[in-house]
Amino acid sequence: MSDYNIIGKRMPRVDSRAKVMGKVRYSADIKLHGMLVGKIKRSPYAHARILSIDTSKAENLPGVKAVVTGKDTEGVKWGVFGYTRDQQFIQTDKARYIGDEVAGVAAVDEDTALKALDLIQVEYEQLPAVFEPMDAMASDSELIHEDFPNNINIHVNIDTGEVDENFKKAHYIREDTFTAPEESYFQAEPYAVVARFDEDECLEVWCPNGGPHMKSKPLSNSFKLPLHKVKIKKIAIGGAFGGRSEICPADYICALLAKKTSAPVKIIFTREENTIATRQGHAMITTHKTGVDKEGRVLARDTTCYMDGGAYSSTGPIATTVPFLSMEQAYRMESVRYNGYRVYTNKPIRGMIRVHGRGFACGLDTQLDMIAEHLGIDPVEMRLRNSRQPGEYTNTKSLVSSCAMDETIHKAVEKSGFKEKWGKLPPFHGIGIGTNSVQTGFPMGIRGGSQSFIKFNEDGEATVMTGVVDNGQGNDNMVVQIAAQELGLLPEDIHLVSADTETTSSDPGSYSQVSTFVGGQAVKNAASNCKKKLFDVAAKVLKVEPDTLKAENRLIFVKDDPEKSIPIKKVVRISLLNFNSVNAEGGYWPKVDMKREWVSNPYGQMCEAFSFGTTIVEVKVDPDTGEVEVLEVTASQDVGKALNPLVLEGQFEGSIAMGGQGGMLTEYHEWHEGRCVNPTMLDYKLPLACDMPKINNIIVESIEPKGPYGAKEAGMSIAMSAAQGYSAAVSNAIGVHMDSFPLTPDKILTAIKNKKQQDTAK
Amino acid sequence: MATKISFILNGDKISYEIKDHWTLSYLLREEMGLIGTKEGCGNGECGACTVIVDKLAVNSCLYLAIDIDDKIVETIEGLASTDGTLHPLQQSFVDNGGIQCGFCSPGMIMSSKALLDENPDADREEIKHALAGNICRCTGYIQIFESVEAAKELAVEDKGGKNG
Repeated sequence: MSDYNIIGKRMPRVDSRAKVMGKVRYSADIKLHGMLVGKIKRSPYAHARILSIDTSKAENLPGVKAVVTGKDTEGVKWGVFGYTRDQQFIQTDKARYIGDEVAGVAAVDEDTALKALDLIQVEYEQLPAVFEPMDAMASDSELIHEDFPNNINIHVNIDTGEVDENFKKAHYIREDTFTAPEESYFQAEPYAVVARFDEDECLEVWCPNGGPHMKSKPLSNSFKLPLHKVKIKKIAIGGAFGGRSEICPADYICALLAKKTSAPVKIIFTREENTIATRQGHAMITTHKTGVDKEGRVLARDTTCYMDGGAYSSTGPIATTVPFLSMEQAYRMESVRYNGYRVYTNKPIRGMIRVHGRGFACGLDTQLDMIAEHLGIDPVEMRLRNSRQPGEYTNTKSLVSSCAMDETIHKAVEKSGFKEKWGKLPPFHGIGIGTNSVQTGFPMGIRGGSQSFIKFNEDGEATVMTGVVDNGQGNDNMVVQIAAQELGLLPEDIHLVSADTETTSSDPGSYSQVSTFVGGQAVKNAASNCKKKLFDVAAKVLKVEPDTLKAENRLIFVKDDPEKSIPIKKVVRISLLNFNSVNAEGGYWPKVDMKREWVSNPYGQMCEAFSFGTTIVEVKVDPDTGEVEVLEVTASQDVGKALNPLVLEGQFEGSIAMGGQGGMLTEYHEWHEGRCVNPTMLDYKLPLACDMPKINNIIVESIEPKGPYGAKEAGMSIAMSAAQGYSAAVSNAIGVHMDSFPLTPDKILTAIKNKKQQDTAK
Repeated sequence: MATKISFILNGDKISYEIKDHWTLSYLLREEMGLIGTKEGCGNGECGACTVIVDKLAVNSCLYLAIDIDDKIVETIEGLASTDGTLHPLQQSFVDNGGIQCGFCSPGMIMSSKALLDENPDADREEIKHALAGNICRCTGYIQIFESVEAAKELAVEDKGGKNG
């Protein structure tokens, strides 16, 4: 019997009733009195000096209320880190990609705003542009940012030592290069922002954002307002997938227009703007050199990755590192060297995306399969010989306390019938396995922890305040479930106030799988502290010791004598009559190595827990068309503890759709001279309902000692391992280890044709 | 140009003066304040703005408002009873996890309704086909299929209850 009556149950999400009724408001749904329509003028050139901007015609157009350019700004550059401050929210000197922000307008309606954009006259001097990282690093390339020689934005170097020595000891060595172009988020909701200054001259902003406290700081800097005067408001978010954590220049432009017009302003992005002017995933060229012993155990690995970072830094140091981290968490290596280069190009800005480096991860697993084939080992055994074990340290010195990687492999293998199918499937029919691991956060300095407040009302119900954000994945429900469980209430007794910088304390945001582990834990601690107060009062009434009590279903009762009980509502009222309000705070700061830094010191405890996932995929390939039919996907993850299996399974399935079905078969961007030619949902091929295969979900619980109820994170290591499983299955079906992702029909047909020619030549 | 049109919206007879170039989603969202219908692309690609016109699921961002004259329009706001009882599809999406971020949900539910109104016994393949025009980036669709299938059962029970 579980100790919990709410945690671990298949509970429908608390936010879903309002969502199915169409009552939930997203940023574009906001209407305020006197609100103006804002639009952004963007650079038509990939790289150009801005010589002059004439806004007079636009300003004179009836209905236009304000035009802003770089002149209206302080010229301040923003960056997530001190050493990455390279982006102005409106450019003053040059534009660095097609879509870079050059000016903004606010008008009475959309037609007028669009006309005004056309009337803004910008004189440019075009500069040589570079679109590929290898070209950008060439010595004669034009610098995109003057302070960065060879256009190298970030260089992460990790070296655990003894790499060269271990290569000498290796029984077998392979070196292979893998590539993948950019992918995009395509959140259901296009980006939208509403801003206004209220009667107290506070800036209020509504926008889809994964981290309200991450947004308020740059706005506070830009407008020279104290943080308490920047109010990022809670609003429903239509998906994020890593793409909505940072400040968006539109937030600033919208606020600047609101300031200049003294009116609320709303900017809604077109689908194209959402694709090019928020973030994209990095294109990558990854070379893995791996040396193994006779049994296939990795003795040495030397990985070099060139990442197309686009025009600005964004979260560059993090994005350059995370693909490596996933690798070192999932697999043991005796020694490893990593050189990650994030390179500026004149393309849209790249950020963090759900599958961190699909070319990197799929390349790694493809190479393991190649080595296994050479050694005559099957892919499952190859992974088990290299898989992470509990109690070990990663190469960069993070202790992995809980880890059920092997169990995820065994269970997925059994459910999928991998052993019975491997090597025995008919031609063009294949099966493949991928394994991966993700972290629950990383050292984030003063924003690394979360704090929650809980207050009881006199009717025995509670209000929970937390900075935790729900991007759509169910964090609101997660918080309510935890609070209800801990306080002994029912979910409907909890009122949630969250993700609002005015009323909630600092929180990392919904970022790097940190919400449950850190934010959920903070709520649990606050609730626990609140419960102590209730128990002290109840113990006196029931004439027992507080530690004999338990709270459940709105009652506090003696554990060994449940008949002896008192309603929580009554305890609250007794407390109030005794001049004590029932409220408490609680926080959680993960014990990470605060000296760890992405570039200067990439060693030390990264986070407190890691999730592990295995995905096995079975496919059929049509040798005439190159099309892939996915027959079955089996996903298994060590989540720590499943707080809500209904929500968790939704995360698994969404991860498979994005990481595998879309990420490995259809999704990529195409370019012409820096212009994205497939920015819309018609041209960029997202998985549709009719594409989805049968999915088997397997939840593995390792009960992480530091996680809330043992929980770690939900679904991310499935997104990554799904990409690997898909690529492995296709490679197995056609008998060619693919090195360029995603695996589109043209690449598959070419591979089949080349293999046929090679086989004939033999 | 302005034109006066009459239509039935969620059971109510409506007369409204519109401009000829307005889309149906503009009329619903901007003029009538029915924000339950979402706009995800404005080009008929994503299906978030799906509403039902004369029993047919349509992208309201492409459908001209002038074309609903004398027609019957159903939106997400019209599904639940006034006492707050959810339509079987809405209840089923709640119970079966068919909702994540919720942005595609109104359109997804309206497409599902158009399907089940026409074909109450729709099987998994028919459901997949009917929802192929509604893009969901969160769920991977499986729990949406399960929601629609469970709604069929709820609808049958509802009828049983009334007849019994």
